[in-house]
Amino acid sequence: MITCEEFFLEFGDYLENRTSPEVRKELELHVSQCRVCQVLYDSTCKTVKIVTESGSFDLPKSVSDSIIDRVTARLRAGPT
Amino acid sequence: MSFLRTVQLDDKFGPFVEFQETLGFVPNLFHAQTLLPRVIEAQTKLGSAVCLGEGTISRTQKEQIILIVAAARRDIYCVTAHRKILSSLGKSEAQLDRLLTDYRRAGFSEADVALLDFSAKLSQHAPSVHSGDIETLRGCGLDDESILEAVQVTALARFLCTLSAGLAPEPDFEPWKLSSLAISPPREPGSQGTVAQGPRAPGKKEPYLRAVYQSPKTFGPFRFFQKNLGFIPNIFRAQTLRPDVLEAEAEAVGKILLTEDVLTRVQKESILLVVSAANLNSYCVAVHCDMLRGLGIPSEESDQIAVDHHQSNLSEADRALLDFTLKLGVRPLEFCREDVDRLRGHGFTEEQVLESVVMTALTNFLNTLQMGLGVEPDFELPFVLGQNKVHLPAAANPPMERGLVAPSLTGVQDPDAGLVAQAQAGKLEAFEELVRRHSQLIYRALVAILGDPVEAQDAMQDALLSAFKHLAGFQSRSKFSTWLVSIARNTAFQRLRGRKEVESLDGGEYEEDREFRPRQVKAWQDNPEQFYSKSEIRQLVERGILGLPTKYRAVVMLRDIEQLSTDEVSRQLGLTVPTVKVRLLRGRLMLREWLSPHFTTSVRRATS
Repeated sequence: MITCEEFFLEFGDYLENRTSPEVRKELELHVSQCRVCQVLYDSTCKTVKIVTESGSFDLPKSVSDSIIDRVTARLRAGPT
Repeated sequence: MSFLRTVQLDDKFGPFVEFQETLGFVPNLFHAQTLLPRVIEAQTKLGSAVCLGEGTISRTQKEQIILIVAAARRDIYCVTAHRKILSSLGKSEAQLDRLLTDYRRAGFSEADVALLDFSAKLSQHAPSVHSGDIETLRGCGLDDESILEAVQVTALARFLCTLSAGLAPEPDFEPWKLSSLAISPPREPGSQGTVAQGPRAPGKKEPYLRAVYQSPKTFGPFRFFQKNLGFIPNIFRAQTLRPDVLEAEAEAVGKILLTEDVLTRVQKESILLVVSAANLNSYCVAVHCDMLRGLGIPSEESDQIAVDHHQSNLSEADRALLDFTLKLGVRPLEFCREDVDRLRGHGFTEEQVLESVVMTALTNFLNTLQMGLGVEPDFELPFVLGQNKVHLPAAANPPMERGLVAPSLTGVQDPDAGLVAQAQAGKLEAFEELVRRHSQLIYRALVAILGDPVEAQDAMQDALLSAFKHLAGFQSRSKFSTWLVSIARNTAFQRLRGRKEVESLDGGEYEEDREFRPRQVKAWQDNPEQFYSKSEIRQLVERGILGLPTKYRAVVMLRDIEQLSTDEVSRQLGLTVPTVKVRLLRGRLMLREWLSPHFTTSVRRATS
């Protein structure tokens, strides 16, 4: 079985589902048998899910419209 | 007498001693490269690993493949040399004549004929190779290791034929008359009605052949690629059934591509890019666009080099260099001494011309490997390579005007193109619509760098005004959204400089992912977010992201908040894909550390 360090070297691609079949097989075997890496994998997947679904830094449409309106008004007015 | 000057090397020069021992002579092909002994060393090691290394197909089968590939490419030098080698392996003149004139009726086994059919097709029509060809070989009883070896030998044959066309060494023996050759067109594996023809079905995500796991920590070639390229390309991961060949390939990459004593690395990557594009090899084009980005060449420039280097910002000499390599790589039969003289006329030294030839050969080697192995891309290519007639100035290279296959930007999909044209024509409403479409992206790019949502709103106005001011200069070499982000990035950095807090996003050296190791190892609850309200989660995430160092924050913002692909993030931020991947993982792990105290199983919290 691969070591935790070897697991960690491929971890980024594993999260992104970008590993080749033979690497994925080794990583899955490792996760099934190593409690620490299992927790790491599970909690990082949950982190990504929480972050992507959080709606963070959503610029409210009213704010966005107001900025764009100010800019276009300035452009319509021509060079100052 | 070859095209280039040669020098006398020491009698004890290792590769020449090895040739004497294994072949009984030193091929003129290698005498012609004595100006750069390191490339001879790399090629000898590669040739030995591929042809002499212990494998599942025999030395004779491998030499037959090289002979058939050389004959199909009408390479008199290589046909003569490998005919002689086969003769020394016990093949009679009559057998060799039959092999060369019609191997399908030469009494070979079904597996041997299938191997030769496959290699001839791979060498001549690589883009049309598909999984059905591999199934045909398997149907003849060949295992994956044998098929891998056939691909490697074919790739080596293309390497040797490209060298021979570019250097024109004298044949080592009385040349065999190629006029009597009658190579039949490749036989399609689907001709018996069992396998669909054409490119493999879309959606298939695995390489053609089985591979075995090799550790990136302990396997030498993988450590080499990780250290020098920042990642392990799939093309090498797919060859782990032959670790000895991988070692030789790593050495070839090191001694031919990574050296900078003759041609620069940018010149070499550009050669890889244009020849791969002409070979319609999108895998290699994507890799080398990314490499060029890592060397400081913007994405839009490397895309332009791939599509039509004459429209790029390269110097006249570098364009001539790429004309030279394109012709050698794709139309070797038309390549002649005048092409070498033309390159000399642009000031290139003998060593530089030699290295250009070797780089072209290495490109054809890698392209053939990739097409034969069906390796999936490491990175996305933002455009689709299609066949078109290349546009080159007639005076620069007349023969190439006659039908050279070249890539074209057939697949650029920028949904903003129409509005951009209107905005550039002065229609303010079109500009307004464009910025409304991308306002979230611009804002998040600004937050990513400034680390302050309030200041980002303020900076957004400056960024939009700047975008309008520079709109006429946008040449559609990248997506409009990419260009907008670059404007936002510059605006943000101007502000940071104003408050003397510049933290560069540049990658520089490939980053190693050893600096950061997770500390929290407590298990998280199932569906941990259920214990918090949506606004609490958002605040928690926002505080976590704003607390990240800029270089991680920028990547996490664009990948996980804006949900661009990793490849798009790399283009938006002008970073290589491997750098983005390292930063993304680190950023995510830092966020995990930040969130852990709130979500581990030891935390008990009522639903809000």
